[in-house]
Amino acid sequence: MKHSPWRKFAVGILSVAILNMGMAGAASAAIVDTAELVTADRAADMSVVRSQLDRAEVRAQMEKMGLDAAAVDRRVASLNDRELHRLAVDMQNAPAGGDAVWLVGAVFIVLIILELTGVIDIFKKT
Amino acid sequence: MKKRAAGLAARFTFLLASAGLLSACVTREPFIPGHLPAGAQRAVELDATPFFSQDKYQCGPAALATLLVASNADTTPEALVPVVYLPARKGSLQVEMLAAPRKFGRLSYALSRNLESVIEELAAGRPVLVLHNYGLSFWPRWHYAVVIGYDAATDRFILRSGKKRRQEWRARTFMVAWHHGGRWAMVVLRPGETPASADPTLYLQSAADFERGASPADSRLAFDAAVQRWPAEPVAWIGRGTAEYRAGNLANAARDYATALRIDPNNLGARNNLAQSLLDLGCPARALELLRAVKFDAPASPLEAAVLDTRKHVEAALTSTPVVEPSRCSSLF
Repeated sequence: MKHSPWRKFAVGILSVAILNMGMAGAASAAIVDTAELVTADRAADMSVVRSQLDRAEVRAQMEKMGLDAAAVDRRVASLNDRELHRLAVDMQNAPAGGDAVWLVGAVFIVLIILELTGVIDIFKKT
Repeated sequence: MKKRAAGLAARFTFLLASAGLLSACVTREPFIPGHLPAGAQRAVELDATPFFSQDKYQCGPAALATLLVASNADTTPEALVPVVYLPARKGSLQVEMLAAPRKFGRLSYALSRNLESVIEELAAGRPVLVLHNYGLSFWPRWHYAVVIGYDAATDRFILRSGKKRRQEWRARTFMVAWHHGGRWAMVVLRPGETPASADPTLYLQSAADFERGASPADSRLAFDAAVQRWPAEPVAWIGRGTAEYRAGNLANAARDYATALRIDPNNLGARNNLAQSLLDLGCPARALELLRAVKFDAPASPLEAAVLDTRKHVEAALTSTPVVEPSRCSSLF
C-alpha cells in the first residue's frame, strides 16, 4: 500500500503532537518547578503555544541580526519563557548597550546643561 | 555656505555659553547625601573590582565580565561576546545580560529603579552594572558601565567604563545618563547571597530562574538564603524543598513543603510537591489525605493538571499493593 504525501504529512504532524503530549504528561507526574509558582510568572500566564511562537520569533530575529545557527541555538536555549517573550516583543528597539562616540558626547553635554538650568528636571517626583 | 555654517556654530556656542552661565546661577543641592540609605558609609570604593577595557561596541561583555569576575567566576569579555553581543544591534540586550550569569552558576538581579538601591549594593561591597543613555529619546545611545563606588562629600560616583579604569562622575551627570537609560541596574550574586536592597518577590523570581540550570546544592543555597531572610514567603520554602528533593533528601523536602503549606494553605504547588514527596517516601495514604480535598472537573492550568496527575499516581500506589504505612510517615513533620 502506498501512502500519499499528504497522509505522510498528517501522520508526521500528529506524531509530533502526540510526542509532545507524552512529554507534558511525563513532566507533570512529579514536583512542580518553583518558577511556575512565583507570582510574577503566574500572572504572565504562559501558554505552551505562545512560548513556542516566541521561541521561533527570537530565533528568526537573532539569525537576521548576524548570529550563526549554533550560536542562536545556545542563546535561545539559555532563556526561559518569560525572557523569550520579552525579546520576541521588542528585540529591534530594546536598549542595546554599545558604544559612545564624540558626537554623542556633544548631545549629552546639552542634555546635562538643560537639566542643570532646570529646562528639564529628571528628579521631580512623578 | 561656509559663512552660514560658521554663523550657526557661533549661535550654538552662544546658546551653550548662556546656558552654562545660567547654570552657574542655579544652586542645586548635592545629590548623594540625600539618597544615602541608613547605615551606609559616606564613601565607598571597591578597588578590587577588576577592569576590562572594552573593544568597539562591546561594553556589554566587558561590564558583565567585570561583575562575574568580581564574584569569583572564571570568564573574560572575549568569552562573553558570543553569549550577549548582537552584531546587528552593535550592542547587548538587557534580557541576555540578566540571563548570562546563570551559565556561570551565578544569580542575576535587576535592582529597583532608585538610587538608594544602587548605593546600598555598593555599600554592601557589590559592584553595580548600569545602563546609561547619552542620546535623546528619539536617538538613543546606550552604554553599559560598572559603578564601583561613591563619595558623599564630593557628590561623585566612581565607575569602570569603556576604556577607562577609573572615572569619576558628578552625581547629577550620572543621574541624567542613568535616568535616560530607564534607571536600569543589575548585580550578580553568588548562590546564598541576597541583594542588600532586595524585594522578596523579585529575588524569588531570580532564584526560580536560576533553579532550572543550577545544581541542587547551588539551588539550595539560593533558596536557603531566602528562607532565612523572608521566612514568611511560601515560595522560599518551596524552592528549598525542591532543591532538597532534587538532591534526594525527600524527608527534608517534605518538611519544607509542609512549612510552605502551613503558611499558605491555598498554595497548590506546595500541596502537590508535598504529596509527591510523601508518595516517594512510601507514604501514599498521607499523600492522599492532602489531595482528597482537591477537586477539579477539568484542570484549568498546567498546575492543576499536575495535581490531578499526582493524585492518580497516589491512588494507583494505594490500590496496587496493600500498603501498611511505615511509622516514620506520621513523624515526618
